[in-house]
Amino acid sequence: MRSVLRVSPLPLATLVVLLLGVSLPFVSSGYVLGLLTVAFYTAVFAMSWDLLFGFAGEVNFGPTFLIGLGAYTAGILDARLAPHVAIWVCVLAGAVMAVVGGVLLALPALRVRGPYFGLVTLVAVLILQNVVVVFASLTGGEIGLSVPDVMSISASTNYWIAFGFMVVSGAVLFGLSRSPIGLVLEASGQDAVQAGALGFNVAKHKLFAFIVSAFFSGLAGALMVFYMGTASVSTFIDISVGVQIIIAAVLGGRRTVIGAAIGAVFLIGMGELLRPLGELATLLVSVMALFVVLFFPDGFLGMLQGRSRGG
Amino acid sequence: MLVWQILIDGFAISALYALGATGFTLIFGVSGVLNLSHGAIMVASAVAAWAIAGSLHAGAYASALGGMAVGVVLAFATYFIAVRPIQRSRRIAEAEKEIFILTTTLLWGIILQEAVAYFFTSNAKTVLPIVEGVVRVLGVRTPSNEFFTALICWVAIGLLWLLVNKTRHGKEVLAASMNPRGVTLLGIELSRIHIAVWLVYGVLASLAGVLLGMFLGVSSYSVGPLTASAFSIVVLGGLGSVSGSLVAAYVVGYLETLTAYLISPAYRTIPALLLLVVVMYLRPQGLFGRR
Amino acid sequence: MLEVRGLTKRFGGLVAVKDLSFSIRGGEILGLIGPNGSGKSTAMRTVMGVERPTAGSILLEGHEIGGLPSHQVARRGVGLVFQHSRPLNRQTVLENIKVALLPDRLTMIFASAEVDAQARAIAERVGLGAVLQRKPPTLPFADLRRLELAKAIARHPKLVLVDEPFAGLTASEVAAFSELIAGFRAEGRAVLLVDHNVKGVSALVDRVVAMYLGEWIAEGSAADVMRDETVRRVYLGGALTRVARGSLDTSGRTPALQVDDVEVRYGKALAVQGVSLHVHEGEFVSLVGLNGAGKTTLFNAISGLVPHNGSVRWAGADLAGATPAAIARGGIVQCPETRELFGDMTVRENLELGGHGLDDAERAQRLEWLYDLFAILRDRERQIARTLSGGEQQMLAIARALMMKPKLLILDEPTLGLAPVILETLSKALDRLRSTTRLTVLLGEQNVTFALPHADRLYVMDHGKIVWEGLPERFEAEVADNYL
Repeated sequence: MRSVLRVSPLPLATLVVLLLGVSLPFVSSGYVLGLLTVAFYTAVFAMSWDLLFGFAGEVNFGPTFLIGLGAYTAGILDARLAPHVAIWVCVLAGAVMAVVGGVLLALPALRVRGPYFGLVTLVAVLILQNVVVVFASLTGGEIGLSVPDVMSISASTNYWIAFGFMVVSGAVLFGLSRSPIGLVLEASGQDAVQAGALGFNVAKHKLFAFIVSAFFSGLAGALMVFYMGTASVSTFIDISVGVQIIIAAVLGGRRTVIGAAIGAVFLIGMGELLRPLGELATLLVSVMALFVVLFFPDGFLGMLQGRSRGG
Repeated sequence: MLVWQILIDGFAISALYALGATGFTLIFGVSGVLNLSHGAIMVASAVAAWAIAGSLHAGAYASALGGMAVGVVLAFATYFIAVRPIQRSRRIAEAEKEIFILTTTLLWGIILQEAVAYFFTSNAKTVLPIVEGVVRVLGVRTPSNEFFTALICWVAIGLLWLLVNKTRHGKEVLAASMNPRGVTLLGIELSRIHIAVWLVYGVLASLAGVLLGMFLGVSSYSVGPLTASAFSIVVLGGLGSVSGSLVAAYVVGYLETLTAYLISPAYRTIPALLLLVVVMYLRPQGLFGRR
Repeated sequence: MLEVRGLTKRFGGLVAVKDLSFSIRGGEILGLIGPNGSGKSTAMRTVMGVERPTAGSILLEGHEIGGLPSHQVARRGVGLVFQHSRPLNRQTVLENIKVALLPDRLTMIFASAEVDAQARAIAERVGLGAVLQRKPPTLPFADLRRLELAKAIARHPKLVLVDEPFAGLTASEVAAFSELIAGFRAEGRAVLLVDHNVKGVSALVDRVVAMYLGEWIAEGSAADVMRDETVRRVYLGGALTRVARGSLDTSGRTPALQVDDVEVRYGKALAVQGVSLHVHEGEFVSLVGLNGAGKTTLFNAISGLVPHNGSVRWAGADLAGATPAAIARGGIVQCPETRELFGDMTVRENLELGGHGLDDAERAQRLEWLYDLFAILRDRERQIARTLSGGEQQMLAIARALMMKPKLLILDEPTLGLAPVILETLSKALDRLRSTTRLTVLLGEQNVTFALPHADRLYVMDHGKIVWEGLPERFEAEVADNYL
């Protein structure tokens, strides 16, 4: 029997991390802040993926399709229409476009079984890549797109925007996962037949999960464009970037949402640490990721949870 | 004339795709695995052949065979590193194993791709062709290599067909793809069958890679598009149907060739992708699929 | 309350349910009984909306629900308890029940306190009050079944469907569950129980509808249905005949197959409990028992296809650790209930695969012998296995098993779904095998009439245990009445 006085460590730990996070710009260099900014946006990518996979049971092999849609829509709007249109409008437009993409992706998902859906998501990324290359005059093609506006030039401001965005997104996504909707989503993902027999329209709930995942992915992608000032296929619509996002979520622990954020920060940090090795860096990170997937499929938080509950 | 050029080029490229896709389908049919490191194995075999020719100064045949040997080793590595551990794992739920295998094979593919780029640079390489020279057929000057490629591909596919349908061991593999439990009940170890299948797959994929290297050249950048074409073809044809893959390979091959000649080489992969999307929406099981 | 009229369900070429009609009133428990393949589970799933009916109508309180998706059927007041428990393993018992209570809306951010209270009340009712905070992987089997019941009745459905209510439960648990289900009836709900045999549910049901091969065959009180001629023929295979047979002297010999205290669990459910049996070389032993008794599970344990406790010894050696393929090569060849043929290959190819371990000459010879035994296979040599009739497929499966030169042939329910005419042919073939070879046979059958004449010895299996062992002559006198 647990002692009544024992406080659960999780809220305390979260508070400490949040405080540390907010105060970091006062002690760190612009370089570290920049790195963490990218990590935070990646964290939102990973958390959105976790919501879709962990809860609706759908494996999205091309999260970069949704991210790319958000990023490029925002970027193109700004590049074409600035200064007539505010950044925030572009960002929102990007999010909306990503949602449209999410719905398009959801349609076959609700009708096909097993590996087919994963393949559809991979194909979606390839198609988007090709579209960007074909319409190079609009998108900048393989060279990339430059946007005239950025959110801020200050590393600290950018950091706080990213941090704040991550915390809010994390709170929403985590909250969703723990809410009754999250429960129904999980039921739909684990056993669609049973969920139907319990009276839940599984298709409706999965569509909802797609829309939420797409919204946050697209939003984060759009914001990142205005942080970096550029958009390119290799940063936003790449298969290996997509794989990294999946790895981040698996590393942190599937179905924990928060774990995905931890995984993302860890992965970006590790990539940076290994940067001096040049080409070898990606290779090593991939090897590590394979190692984790094979030997620690439950991920970091998953392992912690397993140990504390004792099964 | 352009028409003949398209017909001949298209035939050769489709034959290559068919060879690769057949291997891909075989693995799926028997092992139930969609090997996303397929393109990487093809490219690695070609690069190995090139490297052997370059550093060991071996002849065309020897380097081709050497490249294939490397490919077979990599295929086995894929099975023992990325596939079998997941299949036998007790910590992953049955329903999630397929997804994990997709992830591990994808990761393994990326590892191979990065390794090739790191050790051999990402520049395009061509493998020493076995057949050289140009032939004039129907008014078109075509490298003899193209005919050689198409011929070898079809001989390989034919041999595979003979192996699977006419030899006893081949029939055991075919039976395993229909009913693994039935095969076990007859006293045949499934693990032996899996090893045999990955061996055959390694031969097919590495052969396709080496031939591609001779025909068009490869680089580490080819990995993604190659894997993508392979599974597009296989999904189009219907997962698990070899005849479907053959037909789909020709559809995709000709679509790409037509696009490259008539529109632009930069857009060659697009029509096939669009076709795939349409098929996914209208007939997800593919042209000939039933599983 | 529920009226089913002319319900038909077709899966491609297979007709699983054909023109089924029955009705249930509120406050009544109806048992839908039938052996494997009778279509009872399909019928139930179609009522629930998990499958769409091909034809016919399903009326709930006068409103047509046939063809509606399952979530709409559920919302109209139908609850289903699945045969296999499907809990959310990562949520607590309380949360599992809460899911069943949630409305189908996307806007629920916070669950109301009402839902919590309701969930607790339901948990108390089914007996889960003490384990609300535990997670399903830590619960015993019976509690998992209680959880399934709780989920199904959470929203007070008018109609409750229960698939195999007592499978895997001990006697005392069966009593507790019966009480719970009787409680639903007392509340005025209609209850449909689906099960393999009448005996298990006879105490609980008001009426029984018996099915066979997708069709209605009998209806009435439990006792009436058990006495019905057609039902008895379908289950027992007809009147029991005694056959004069030479006795086999097995005194002093060690059995070829020795099974000791074998126990098999599927997840938490105990499918086979402490079973011991033995078979001597050259013996024909029949293991009879209704579907669900555990025969197939036991055979799978012997063949190494499922993990088990206890020991299985063959020709003096313990089989523990051997792969199933190795056990097959060692002489124990199983011809399972599902036959496991290579559907897209021809008859000849299937047979030749069976003979993979033989050299060419011997294989050809054996093939000839089998064509002699099962003449129809010779005629259909080049036909694709999938297109054969049920009886032909069964003969092919047995012939293929025989191609392996087995020392022990395990036959699992060979008569399943076959017309009586085919049974004659099969029976004759088995006779010839017995008289011309020293084949050892272990036959598992529900159809006692088929199993009895050939057997040297008989075991009866029920609910995972061996309940009787003896000579076939004594079966009718001692056991037959209790069998159904």
